[in-house]
Amino acid sequence: MTQNLDLTDIQGNIVKAYGSFGFFKARYLFLRVDDGDKGRDFVGLITAKVTSAERWKKEAAPSVTTNIAFTYPGLKALELPTASLMGFPADFVMGMSKRKDILGDDGPSDPQHWDKIWQETVHIWISINGKSQEVIEERYQWILQQIEASRGVTLLEGHRGEDKDGNPVEDLPYQDASVLYDENGIPTAKEHFGYTDGIGDPVFEGQTNNAARVVGRGKLTREGGWEPLATGEFILGHVDEAMEYPQTAPRPDLLSNNATYMVYRKLHENVGTFNNFLDEQTAIFPGGKENKELLAAKFSGRWRDNGAPLVDTPDNESKAEWDKRFAAADVPTQKNMLTNFTYNDDISGAKCPLSAHTRRINPRGSLEYGVKDAFDTPGALVNRRRILRRGLPYGKIKDQTSDKGNHGIIFMALNADIKRQFEFIQQQWINYANDFKQGNDKEVLLGNHDAKNPGKVVLEVEEGSGKPPHFVCNIPRLVETRGGDYFFIPSITALKMIAGGIIDPT
Amino acid sequence: MSNIAGKAYAMNVITPMRWYKVWLNRLIFWAALKAPNVLNGLLTLSLIHYARWVIIPRDKFPRLDPSQPKEELEYSYMMFFSNFNGSWAQYVDSFTFAIPSGLDLFWKMNVRYPKSVPLTPFHDYIQHNQIDTSHYYTAYPMAASNDVKSAKNVKKALIDFNAASSNKSPDEFLEDYNKLLNQLQHDFGEMRPTPIVSLAAQAVKERYMETQAGNR
Repeated sequence: MTQNLDLTDIQGNIVKAYGSFGFFKARYLFLRVDDGDKGRDFVGLITAKVTSAERWKKEAAPSVTTNIAFTYPGLKALELPTASLMGFPADFVMGMSKRKDILGDDGPSDPQHWDKIWQETVHIWISINGKSQEVIEERYQWILQQIEASRGVTLLEGHRGEDKDGNPVEDLPYQDASVLYDENGIPTAKEHFGYTDGIGDPVFEGQTNNAARVVGRGKLTREGGWEPLATGEFILGHVDEAMEYPQTAPRPDLLSNNATYMVYRKLHENVGTFNNFLDEQTAIFPGGKENKELLAAKFSGRWRDNGAPLVDTPDNESKAEWDKRFAAADVPTQKNMLTNFTYNDDISGAKCPLSAHTRRINPRGSLEYGVKDAFDTPGALVNRRRILRRGLPYGKIKDQTSDKGNHGIIFMALNADIKRQFEFIQQQWINYANDFKQGNDKEVLLGNHDAKNPGKVVLEVEEGSGKPPHFVCNIPRLVETRGGDYFFIPSITALKMIAGGIIDPT
Repeated sequence: MSNIAGKAYAMNVITPMRWYKVWLNRLIFWAALKAPNVLNGLLTLSLIHYARWVIIPRDKFPRLDPSQPKEELEYSYMMFFSNFNGSWAQYVDSFTFAIPSGLDLFWKMNVRYPKSVPLTPFHDYIQHNQIDTSHYYTAYPMAASNDVKSAKNVKKALIDFNAASSNKSPDEFLEDYNKLLNQLQHDFGEMRPTPIVSLAAQAVKERYMETQAGNR
């Protein structure tokens, strides 16, 4: 590690995925600033409880965290100077709903169908992550008191969800989220389609001293090793992969240093459609029912049960053998087995299809297409397109055969440049495939498939084997956007300056 | 005026260079063509249709007619011309990250060339010297160059298949057909409207209309 970050200044949710620290529950609040002066006072009150990225000694770890972020209209409402506001990039200024043509939020994902809260202007996001529902409720009550006391901000209602009796409602004042528990009540890393999630999160310079954590998660070197990505890919005020400070930083430096941008997206999962689609497709997939899980893995690039990477386990036999080794391995070895792979021995996609989710969002070195030393570094087209993923599933499934109800993922992506990183992945790699030489073929799980004109993907087979590839056709829309926006997560220094009304770009 | 037509973008960049360095640049181009491995990176960037660098010496600028007066030019110029798929930023960034040393080699004789990394000075240099395209036409607005290459593969393979297999027994025909699919498995991408790279009002509207047309 060549860089020491000022962890006491950076908000904790940037550096830590709270879920992996035992914070299995979360509540997200959205507010409107009604009065600049009183709004700034409110920011000051919340800042006192904002969780930094400071390393926790085991016994001193908190049981609940709080973080805060702002939309562009929010910063305007808090009366940041115009010269500072003008330094923000266009994507952030526009906000998520106005970027729908880029994000592919059309049809059922169109902003007009989003939760009611997104039909008005959101200014502030506050997150509470907790080890139990009780501590979350306690912190929530504390925040309600601050809202009450400030008299300058309003907690916005309008999240779809369920009331205490399980009845569907549309006007909740918060969005709850939680890991999913298995039948024995053990927390899992799964989402509602059954996939194991959040394994390959990127690692950047200054985040960890543990070299093992970088394997398969940093950037691939020419020698086949892994290095942490440049800090500036994820935190403003630090040098990025282009050897410069991120150009998305507003002035003054004290406003932008140690800050980042967050994409918040509520993604509804059409579970009934997914289960039905998987069964239908299994029936015509070679091997039939025995290969149902293999087919599910072909959509994602990882097996649903334990996240085994498909490149290392391309069939049931190799998977069974991998499972045995995985079960016998210690935790560091297990982590290595989950992340330490590339697609360089699978350029054709015979093992892990070019359309698979994990391959699309992080192609590792495979965009060199096996051409020896084509680029200066194997990840040349990838290292600037990485995002930190935070967030948790929300809702419970009552009926595996139905899409109805409220369940999905609260997806949060953190990056220094929303357009270059998150939007690029969404537009070019999920909803389009020229970089993968697959025309307009969308990724199966997240693609904005069009019911009137459904798409397909090709599951490749061994080249020269004489076997036909498998076509997955008539892919329905499996995931729908239900809301979201773009947020700026300032440093703790900047929060205090915003609260004090002393942001000065001159 | 638009640099964009369908899925393609046309880029023209004209940069001045000292006239007495022209021969050095020619030498570099000559060497690059002699050792095509140098161009591996460029060829692997499949979003690029082509990229061409041409040196125009200061006394060789074309005149429409002998009566057109000759210009007295201080510099010779290098013209860079390329068509590609995707956005301006995607293209320039791909270039910078994939083949920074190659770019520096080709452009380093040019006046005030900043080097390709860090990125922003390079962005500024290209933007400053780019000449916007006045008229631009594409025969296949829904095709990227990868799609055209795939279509050519499919067409040839189908003609060959038809000639070799059309009279075979059903079993043999099936075997050949499966082989054909295998051979073409990377050429089956759908062709649909482009992801928008421009939020110009007309571009958004046109794409919407194309999407609707596809739904009929």
